Amino acid sequence: MFHLELGKYRNIVLSIALFIFFDLAVLVLNFVISSQISNDALMINLAGRQRMLSQRITKTALQVEYRIRDGKPFGNELTEFKKASTVFDQTLTAFSQGGRTTSGTGDEVNLAAIEDPTAQGILREARDIWTPLITAAKSLTDNADIMQASQLARLMEAANLQLLKLMNDLTTRVEQIASDKATMLRTVQVTGITLATINFIIILFHFIGHLRRSDRELEHAHKETADILRTTQEGLFLLDPELKIGSQHSTALNSILGVATLAGADFIDILRARVDQKTLKTAREYLDLLLKHDVKEKLVTSVNPLNRVEMLLDQGPGKPETRFLQFAFNRVKEKGKITHLLVTVSDITRRVLLEQELKATEDRARGQLGMLMEIIQIDPFALHQFLRAAADGLQNINGLLRDQSEPVTGRSGLLRDQSEPVTGRSSLVNALFRQAHRIKGDAAALGMSSLADAFHQLEDLLSELREQPSLSGEDFLPVTVQVKGLFEQIETIENAVIRISQVRGVATVEAPRPQHDPNTAKLPFVQRWRDFANQIATRHGNTVEISYKGIDVATLPEGLSSAVNTIINQFIRNAIVHGIESSDARKALGKPEAGRLSIYISQNDDGSVELSFRDDGRGISVQRIRDTAIAKGRLTAEEATAWDNRRIVGLIFEPGISSHAAVDADAGRGAGLDAVAELVVRFGGNVRIGTTPNEYCHFRVHLAPRAIVEGPAAT
Amino acid sequence: MTEAELRIFIGIVQHYFEQQTGRLAEMGTPFLGDPNALPIFDFTGVIGISGNRRGCVYFTAPSEMLRQILVHGGESDVSRENLADLAGEISNTISGNARRAFGHEFMISVPIVVTGREQSISLPESVKAYVMPFRWREQDAALVVSVV
Repeated sequence: MFHLELGKYRNIVLSIALFIFFDLAVLVLNFVISSQISNDALMINLAGRQRMLSQRITKTALQVEYRIRDGKPFGNELTEFKKASTVFDQTLTAFSQGGRTTSGTGDEVNLAAIEDPTAQGILREARDIWTPLITAAKSLTDNADIMQASQLARLMEAANLQLLKLMNDLTTRVEQIASDKATMLRTVQVTGITLATINFIIILFHFIGHLRRSDRELEHAHKETADILRTTQEGLFLLDPELKIGSQHSTALNSILGVATLAGADFIDILRARVDQKTLKTAREYLDLLLKHDVKEKLVTSVNPLNRVEMLLDQGPGKPETRFLQFAFNRVKEKGKITHLLVTVSDITRRVLLEQELKATEDRARGQLGMLMEIIQIDPFALHQFLRAAADGLQNINGLLRDQSEPVTGRSGLLRDQSEPVTGRSSLVNALFRQAHRIKGDAAALGMSSLADAFHQLEDLLSELREQPSLSGEDFLPVTVQVKGLFEQIETIENAVIRISQVRGVATVEAPRPQHDPNTAKLPFVQRWRDFANQIATRHGNTVEISYKGIDVATLPEGLSSAVNTIINQFIRNAIVHGIESSDARKALGKPEAGRLSIYISQNDDGSVELSFRDDGRGISVQRIRDTAIAKGRLTAEEATAWDNRRIVGLIFEPGISSHAAVDADAGRGAGLDAVAELVVRFGGNVRIGTTPNEYCHFRVHLAPRAIVEGPAAT
Repeated sequence: MTEAELRIFIGIVQHYFEQQTGRLAEMGTPFLGDPNALPIFDFTGVIGISGNRRGCVYFTAPSEMLRQILVHGGESDVSRENLADLAGEISNTISGNARRAFGHEFMISVPIVVTGREQSISLPESVKAYVMPFRWREQDAALVVSVV
């Protein structure tokens, strides 16, 4: 079934249809009434003629009478009389019943009966008068005598005035009817035109207002769209089936793609200059798939070759820039048919670079973990030797780079004379390569593959420089950056070695836990340690608590027992003077008010003694020992810098090195721990130290049985 | 500081010389310098860097180079104040361009000008700095980048 979808135009179409209907109605009525008026005009004309014919009939009847009386021929008058009578009769019949009659021009016309009752009354009255007259008239012939003619003339004279009046009335009535119809026609016309005009005004005001509102809404919607396109940071545009970019697109698209004019441009042409051939071909196939084939959009999204594409964009003369862009395509359908593709372009360069950086960081972290694993497995001494050599080698490399920048003639400045031949820099590359290769070989020999790889990368950079016909200073920038990275890597390894040694220290310092005998804590020698500790603590304004677990020291051989006692006393003194903080400081650090000194002593099956002494004080300050060593002339500043932390900490066992600010009864002369060292050496043992700043200091002493059997050694 | 980032700083300096004097400043071989042994000439414009990374970048040049740049630009006043102003202008150019290039990564301060070699420049300790030597009309200058 035909269904006209007028939509929002329904009202305006109906209004115009109404307007046309009014106009047509007026036109039709005008036509009908006009034709009736035309008919009425004929009737008026014929009614007027009846009036004239009534006079002519009377006149010709009298002329016939006079002619007969005078004995003159009367044929023409008789013919005239009969013709007038016949026409009058026909017309009278046509008025009252309808029928044919002769018009003024002699043509036959067909008249409809007059329906007006008044006119019909006039006609009936006229018919009554006329009927005896026409009968008499028909009997008058060419042979008529004077009697017949006179009788007819008298009849005519007698009816003349009445018939004239009736025909006059008929004419007036017919004119009145025509006038009424003309009035009606004017009324219809005025009404119709008025209605049409009103309709037109309604159309004008209603629809102009409606159109204005629509225009405003359209303009508002257009502005919103323009605002979105101008403000969005993403590139938005439509692609037609010919892969041409639509007339409207977001402002950001120009800067994202680096193209000034995009409307109407060929998308493939834009891609061609910015991506490789393979990507271009795949992109074209993908777009063809989206536009022309009935495949599910979501299914093919995963194969979008432009989902993450690297593009080389021209950002001005000599400023090529690589960006990572993401193109998303969505079908635009109309009545189920794909008309366009909506394309969203995002600049994901920052995200991609962050991802790459994250990956590099993860790789570095993995590398560092691998490096740590490598370090753990290397002999500490060999590692130490290598790290020193590697650091020196890097210093040499950097020195070569710096020397290249210094003047040949000793003139102050940083650059060699520019007239120097390029061979100078070529020689530099070779010298750098030799250094790098040597350190790489040493690293590889130790099994430090990650460091060897880093030096290998430096070699790669230098190999590239070797291939260049001429070299500028700027060409060495990647080398310098790599050298800095290597310096940092060596430093990282050195720090890791220190931390590992600390961890190893703590792990190995932890003495084997002896069977706990609660009674040992009450033995006299433990009480003496407590008393001694309390005396020193009192002098230094702090408090300590001693806990002891282990063997009865009195059961040890005398020399060993005495040595253990001396060592413990020195450790107690050292801990209280240097380690344990004041009560207030400890509270501030969240530690118990009283410092804790934990002592463990055990004897192994071979007779050797393990001694562990731990305090929960401030730990050993490496920097303080370093400063003290310099201040007391034990080390030069260069040596202090060059020595690692482990070696620096070892200085506390040397005589004359005390970090205590003032000389007092308990410390300050640098003696004390050197006595421990002497005893340990004498008993052929060793000492290990573990410490963490502000947490603890832990000594583990091993006294060997060999020395016990053989007695005190000289060294 | 990556190689690409260093190239941005180098490009700013080279572009400045090319724009202002019509002659490119020749870059020498870059090397690493310890904080206590970095080149400092008569006038030094120092730019502080803070945020995710911290440290400083400075451009240091001798009076004679700055004097020649002023003369080349038609300036007859080559007083020390003017030389210092020029050092500040060069540093300001570096700072402004660096802010555009790195603004989203770290904060770059307004430069300050340090006169003479006696005044110390606060640099990150225990970090080797990149030293990029430049030569323009037989005069040496240096761009130093020390960022951790």
